[in-house]
Amino acid sequence: MRNIASICGSVALIAAFGAMPAAAQEGAQPNAQGDVAVTIYNNGQSLVQDERQLAVKAGRNRIEFPDVSARIRPETVTLSGTGLSIVEQNFDFDLLTPDKLMDKAVGQTITLVRTNPATGAERTERAKVLAANGGIVLQIGDRIEVLRDDGLPVRAVFDRLPPNLRARPTLSVTVDAAQSGTVPARLSYLTPNLGWTADYVALFDAAKGAIDMQGWVTLTNNSGTTFADARTLLVAGDPNGGGGGFGRLDGAMDSAGTESGDRERLGDYYLYPLPRRTTIANAQQKQVSFLDVKGAPATSTYEYVNRWLGSSTEPVSAASVLRFTTSRAGGLGDQLPAGTIRVYMRDARGDPQFIGENEIGHTPMGSAMSLRTGDAFDVKVQPTVVSRTRKGSSRWVTKMRYTVSNAKPEPVTVSRAQDGLWGDVRIEDESLKGERVSADRVEWQVPVPANGKVDVTATFDTRY
Amino acid sequence: MRAIPLLLGMAALLAPLAAPAREAPPVVVSSRLDDVAVTVYRAPSRGSGGIDAKWPRGFAFITETRTVTLPAGVSALRFEGVAEGLLPETAVVGGLPDGVVEKNRDARLLSPAGLVDAYLKRRVTLRRTDRATGKVREQEAVIQAGPTGGVIVETESGFEALGCSGLPERMLYPRVPDDLSAKPTLSVLVESAAARTVTVQLLYLAEGFDWAANYVADRAADGRTIGLTGWVTVANGGVTSFADAQLNVIAGRLNKVYSPPLPRATPGPLHLRCWPMDTTSTHPRWGLAPVEQGYGGMMADAAAENIVVTAQRMAAPMAPAPPPPPAPPPPEDLGDLKFYRIPFRVDVAAKGQKQVALLAKDAVPVEQLYAATLTYPGNMRPRPLILRLRAQNDESGGLGIALPAGMASVFETVAGQRLLVGEAKIGDKAKGERVDYDIGTRPAVQYGVRILPDPDAGDYRRWEVTLTNARPFDAAVEMLIPFAIDPAPQDWERRGDAWVWRVTVPANGRIVQAFRERLKGD
Repeated sequence: MRNIASICGSVALIAAFGAMPAAAQEGAQPNAQGDVAVTIYNNGQSLVQDERQLAVKAGRNRIEFPDVSARIRPETVTLSGTGLSIVEQNFDFDLLTPDKLMDKAVGQTITLVRTNPATGAERTERAKVLAANGGIVLQIGDRIEVLRDDGLPVRAVFDRLPPNLRARPTLSVTVDAAQSGTVPARLSYLTPNLGWTADYVALFDAAKGAIDMQGWVTLTNNSGTTFADARTLLVAGDPNGGGGGFGRLDGAMDSAGTESGDRERLGDYYLYPLPRRTTIANAQQKQVSFLDVKGAPATSTYEYVNRWLGSSTEPVSAASVLRFTTSRAGGLGDQLPAGTIRVYMRDARGDPQFIGENEIGHTPMGSAMSLRTGDAFDVKVQPTVVSRTRKGSSRWVTKMRYTVSNAKPEPVTVSRAQDGLWGDVRIEDESLKGERVSADRVEWQVPVPANGKVDVTATFDTRY
Repeated sequence: MRAIPLLLGMAALLAPLAAPAREAPPVVVSSRLDDVAVTVYRAPSRGSGGIDAKWPRGFAFITETRTVTLPAGVSALRFEGVAEGLLPETAVVGGLPDGVVEKNRDARLLSPAGLVDAYLKRRVTLRRTDRATGKVREQEAVIQAGPTGGVIVETESGFEALGCSGLPERMLYPRVPDDLSAKPTLSVLVESAAARTVTVQLLYLAEGFDWAANYVADRAADGRTIGLTGWVTVANGGVTSFADAQLNVIAGRLNKVYSPPLPRATPGPLHLRCWPMDTTSTHPRWGLAPVEQGYGGMMADAAAENIVVTAQRMAAPMAPAPPPPPAPPPPEDLGDLKFYRIPFRVDVAAKGQKQVALLAKDAVPVEQLYAATLTYPGNMRPRPLILRLRAQNDESGGLGIALPAGMASVFETVAGQRLLVGEAKIGDKAKGERVDYDIGTRPAVQYGVRILPDPDAGDYRRWEVTLTNARPFDAAVEMLIPFAIDPAPQDWERRGDAWVWRVTVPANGRIVQAFRERLKGD
């Protein structure tokens, strides 16, 4: 009888080994996940839904779910399946280490394999672990000794692994099952460290006044777990950020659009489902295309904003600004999830070169955009305080001159603004008609001829 | 009889483990570059200071041309030998006829801990060597835990901790998992309708590059002109070299947003930790050093920093200066930036710096000025003025080209000796701008300020400025006076919010000038 039992034992062991190579192909890690669907939000918070086939017996079952996110928020876990009711949920993140293995073996019997250093002969004996405090105290037969007290090689072999210790953080759920059998069950939970942002590649053709824009979704998985072959849905918006996801201060939007796109919506958010299943590996950054627009109109413009009484002894570069719209007519025709737009231009040989980038917030369709890509080398503004005259106890007249220079071989128009006017500053005189866009700010559109220089003067009457 | 339900039970238990064995796409590795172009951008926040040699703060736009052979269907194309500082979100792959399904950048690295992580719950071979006889024994084992906090293996006799028995033992892995690589690697999932060989272009931005412009200005004997030579110093702080590359540099400032650090692979170095091993004799510290599996050696032999100078103008005294290299072509306008194409192929070596010519202009007329801004005197002592060489960046001034920001070193030849006069930082100067080289104070020309009593002290302040010139030549002085002069001067230049007072101090002479400052308006 003992013989049969040991044969059965070794068959089971072979079966266990035999199962390994199937999962061990081509570097794919064995993965206990079922049919996984991942919904990823911008703020790095993701909803994972994992449909697994559970073999349960009628009554109380303890079911383990390995390969959940290592950063799982256990309080958000729900398990649903027909005939299953949850008794309790545990998330064990106590990791199996040699130290813990020995600690949990206190009171149990282990096998010691001693090797004779002279002959290499092995001798096996059973030992009971009495304590694991600093060193390991063993009882072997009727003697007590300390493991490897003599420094000679001793292998300590354990019969079993302690329960509750895992190689990876593991979720376990105790359920009451109505009947035995295989039940499809859906495990869903939230996990941080899995987020996405958008990256745009914009190729600007100055001669045609057009951009080709490609949008890429960039997924970053730092959750400690690989999600294999997952159906992936991206949600543009930040559920915790408030304000419908328009949380970023820095943006390029001049006016918010009012058009609706064809994309799916979830509440006020837009949805971007990935067209096919994908494996989101741990420590991976993954990009999938979601936007490809050719030939949308765009113009390159210049901007310079001067603060109140600002002046400079040297000319200062104006900002290069790329203007375009996201509207259906004459624009990109799509809303843009928050991300970074990188702008490229072709050099004289036709090779694309990078000319600058900037961030945008979530942008509805139909918005007017102005993206600052950098400073213009050849278009500069030098503000000068020409005179400042006191006209009374609380009244000053300030004469400003703005010298706009253009070293480019073609004419340009510079949008030149003066800030800090408050509400009570009057413009007494100006050499070019400006637009008071707000109480605080006046803007002039200054045309500058090729390789030319233009002076704009303005006289401000201030009271305070 | 009991064996059959036991086996069935095990099969049911193992079923979810074996089920998701999904087919991984075939991997195509591309490691050879047919052609490469490197366009280097200045560090956006660096003024005119030097390049950070350890990790240059600028970046580069790299265009690589590679030839790959793709099988029909979906395959994973791995690009090896990309720049170390690659920003994966910027990568663009062109030339694939059926497009890119997805792009991936994997940080899972081939390392002792990475191998344990990849082979967790999988079979490895445990090899033990007998110290006495040298006999080698191998046995099958399954890694049950690791790599954090030690490694536990399961053998046919039970569970053991690796490296805790005092026996020489090591793990043998059948092969390197396909998804582990020596360096963070960019891979793309591509779909091809047919098996074919295609030329692809891989374009990306990479950090760890920088460039600076440096100017050498040699003053002619009469002091009225300078010979201006510009150099481009390009630094590559990464470990990847680009041989025979088309090198370009871009002048001007462009906007670059912060790039968050990339995800790191979880396993760090592998430390085989054991249970506590205090003994009676050595308590509390026991002498066995943990066995570490060869980590660290991989990083240690990273190339030592070396500087490659392909051309340098030596400051050799007495010897005539070597002829300057031919002037490179003028820059192209790339949008609002200036694009310099180095006219020959160069090697952009890893951990190296390189210098190539930017421009060469002879006989650029300069005006020598002494400059200062009038400020309230802290004490009565005279203060030196700054020597300023002024050039006009236009054709009549012998220049008329874009001058990227950088440091200029000014030399003069005195009695056959070439001497450094000083160094000046200049910003980006477009064509048509005034270029001032401020090369430090000169004690020969000084100014002193006194405040004199004014009959109407409530409304006015009287300044007395004394300029002295100890040189045997006239000195042209340009002083900024940042207050309202009464009466307002006629025909003086306004610069910023100050008046520009221009005066010539005669050789070995002095000038005393009084100004009345209007404190209040009328």
